[in-house]
Amino acid sequence: MRINQGFSLVHVWGVLSRIPKTRNPWGYLGFAALLFLVIWVWTIQIDRSLGISAFASGWILFGILAFLSLFSARKRLPFLPLASSSRWFHLHAVGGFLALFLFWLHTGGMWSQGLYGQILTALFYITSISGVGGLVIEKIYPRQLTYSGIEIIYERIPGEIAEIREEVESLILKCTEETGSSTLAEHYLETLSWYFQRPRFFMNNIFGSHLSQHWVRQQCMILERFLDKNERKYLDGIYVLAEKKRKIDFHYALQTLLKTWLLVHIPLAAAVMAMVFWHLILIQVFFV
Amino acid sequence: MEENKFDHDQSHYERPNLPYRCGRAALWQTPCNQGPEADGTCGGIRECNPFLKNDRWECRRDKKFGGPCEDGPGSGGKCSIQRPPCAPRSTLRVIRGRLVVLAVGVVLALIGSSLALDPRVGGIVSISNAGPLSKSHAKFTEKVGCPSCHVAHGKGPVAWIKAVFNNSDLSTQCVNCHSFGGPSFKAHNANLSPDRKVQGTQCVMCHREHGGPTMSTRFLTPEQCGSCHKNTFESFERGHPEFSEKFPYFNRNSIKFDHNSHLKKHFDNPKFSDKAPDSCAGCHTITLSDREIRPEGYEVVCAACHDSQIKKKELILIRLPELMQDLIDRKLLVQACNLPHSQSKKEEEFLSVSTEQLALVSAFLLNIPEDDLETYDQPLQDLILAMAEESHVPFADLINQQTPEPMAMSLLAGLNPEVLKRAACSWGLNQEYEPPAEAMFGGWYADMLEVRYKPSGHADPVAKSWVEFALAVSSSQENDDKTVRAQAMRDQLLSSKDGVGGCIKCHAVTSNKDLKHHFQLKVNWNYGKVSDSPYVRYKHEDHIDILGTKSSCLNCHTLNTEVDYMASFKDYDPGNWVSNFESIRKETCSQCHSETQINLECQRCHIYHLKPSFKKEMLAVKADPPSST
Repeated sequence: MRINQGFSLVHVWGVLSRIPKTRNPWGYLGFAALLFLVIWVWTIQIDRSLGISAFASGWILFGILAFLSLFSARKRLPFLPLASSSRWFHLHAVGGFLALFLFWLHTGGMWSQGLYGQILTALFYITSISGVGGLVIEKIYPRQLTYSGIEIIYERIPGEIAEIREEVESLILKCTEETGSSTLAEHYLETLSWYFQRPRFFMNNIFGSHLSQHWVRQQCMILERFLDKNERKYLDGIYVLAEKKRKIDFHYALQTLLKTWLLVHIPLAAAVMAMVFWHLILIQVFFV
Repeated sequence: MEENKFDHDQSHYERPNLPYRCGRAALWQTPCNQGPEADGTCGGIRECNPFLKNDRWECRRDKKFGGPCEDGPGSGGKCSIQRPPCAPRSTLRVIRGRLVVLAVGVVLALIGSSLALDPRVGGIVSISNAGPLSKSHAKFTEKVGCPSCHVAHGKGPVAWIKAVFNNSDLSTQCVNCHSFGGPSFKAHNANLSPDRKVQGTQCVMCHREHGGPTMSTRFLTPEQCGSCHKNTFESFERGHPEFSEKFPYFNRNSIKFDHNSHLKKHFDNPKFSDKAPDSCAGCHTITLSDREIRPEGYEVVCAACHDSQIKKKELILIRLPELMQDLIDRKLLVQACNLPHSQSKKEEEFLSVSTEQLALVSAFLLNIPEDDLETYDQPLQDLILAMAEESHVPFADLINQQTPEPMAMSLLAGLNPEVLKRAACSWGLNQEYEPPAEAMFGGWYADMLEVRYKPSGHADPVAKSWVEFALAVSSSQENDDKTVRAQAMRDQLLSSKDGVGGCIKCHAVTSNKDLKHHFQLKVNWNYGKVSDSPYVRYKHEDHIDILGTKSSCLNCHTLNTEVDYMASFKDYDPGNWVSNFESIRKETCSQCHSETQINLECQRCHIYHLKPSFKKEMLAVKADPPSST
């Protein structure tokens, strides 16, 4: 027999899990646009009755910013049944745009007067811009990573690179021992060792350039004419490893950006919230 | 990648939420199996931590890292595979956390330093500053600073906490300097009856500071006005009520200038046409004109045609009337006039030298009928003897008896005692007084049977005083006979034909209630104030700038040729009058002020506040004393 407890986390989880999951953000966008429209009309009504609409828009904006801040808290509490991370991401993105429009509605312009208002505005804009940048990255890079053909955990990239490097070096040693030629080894020491040392062509990978691919191919083609048949066999093996390393480099560059844009967004968002609290204190003390 | 590479038995768990990562991996070397310790020290100096089992040390290297090593642990339980320690690095999560702390810390430091170092003391910029003040407010707050308006400023955290839970009531600070013609915190500062509900207001509902050099004042829209006013409408064009019937000519003019007769008759007369103005601007000052366009002064507008008329209209103070018998004590007269003794003997048969009537002024002063010889014979001859003895003194006494405040000083100003005495001496001898020369330049003079005053020109003070005297005494007599005589004198002095200077030909006379609710007649010597509509504004200059100075006035001000303008001045009630011009209708303004042309918000024509001003303390200029160096 099931005992009716009125409320339980299991019950909440059941409700949340029944919410249809969608990857389509247009529903959220539509809701946000509607919400903004309602708030806008409301502030107009307040202004018409000679009220101060900035209070209404300000408190709503504060609520939206507090909700946006909860996204970070949600990530730290993955065990709680608080809807899926993707839903939170969509709500965070749409809420961010809503906050931007509410900010303009609240301030009545693009820029503020006074030092603290200007600091707050500047922080808000930089946070918003970093958020929009992050959103673009989050939408484009994962797809490109999938298209690269490999999957790799970001934290394991150093180990993978070291492993590839060891494999390349063991191939070269074997080649030298077997063929008695040092051509491949010398070329490795002069040129290829730089490439296998650590991830390379970071910016080229970020912007989707194929320079690293051309570079690897060119280095192998240059050497090919100086090698005999046996040595070419080893060179082919090195080329395969170099290609694998190139893909790992690509992963490293994109995943680095996917992780490090938050180093800008989250601290600035925290600073914005600190300034918002200061703004609230000043308004409550000196204006209300 | 190999598919089974990340299987649980092939690789270890990555835990990016731990604070440290392997230093070898950070240098792109193969990371160790164990990874850093929680305190940030290297955990990869040895491959495993051997376990003592049955007196034998066993290798505990995990299967995914190759399983137990060949050499195994040493006899002391030490792992045989040793490495130099690495320097573990912080994970991205830790770096992010530090940046968050740093960002919030910078903000808190800014706020803290701002509070600790007051900009007025240390010259450090204030992070609490909400923005620059408007020019006017910046000036008077430069010494006191923020506490001028924000009471809690600079009073410490306790006052701040109190302020959070109390209304800061900024508007109360505003009215320390600003004042209005009514209650400061009621809509429109209107002092309406308690029955009518008026919304309470606060200054911050419309006025905002900290927006830069220009004060931010909310410009009220028709919708906002409609939040209180029941008669709501969209715009001036749509729904604004029609102007009142007399708009904008509510009050009678203080100067009787008949535009109809001047424009249609006199200015076309070849005799005056060369002196006539060529447009309205010829008489009215249009530069810097605001709500009212006043005419230029008398000298510019009227003098060319009317100046000579003023001097022609004289006052007769006293006239020797026809007398029945000689009642003057001749001895006293001869003595007073220093006449030869031969003159002291009276003629046996008296025949009056004058056949005229007594002047109304002296008839009033003596309170005698001007046409009854039997009644005025004795008092008048007593007056003539007194004039011969003391010149103007008896007149001054008579005048000063008529009004609460003595007026003889102003009424008889410039009167030469010798003239009066000589005239009295001649009349006492039943002779006409013969002046030594014709009076040409104005002032008091005696001529034959009269003592007259000739105004010197416009705004002659003696003439004005006599008009005011006549008005003052006409309504303050207890005796009916005297009242009749006072009114007769008044009617003569106010007459445009016979009155002294003809003042009342142009100046209106208005009946006003005094403090005791008695009706008093007053002459409008100056242009009257504009109608008392404190919530309405109109600027002529702006309109003339656009429409031009020649005939633009006629766009709104149309002559009404059918009304009898001058009839409005026959009685003294200023409310009962009709203007020379047609009243202005809403359609006149709508010709230009429509939604498609020049739209009008309410505040273009209506002022929100009632008589906004400053308190006296604000207007008092307190100059700092110069420093003694």
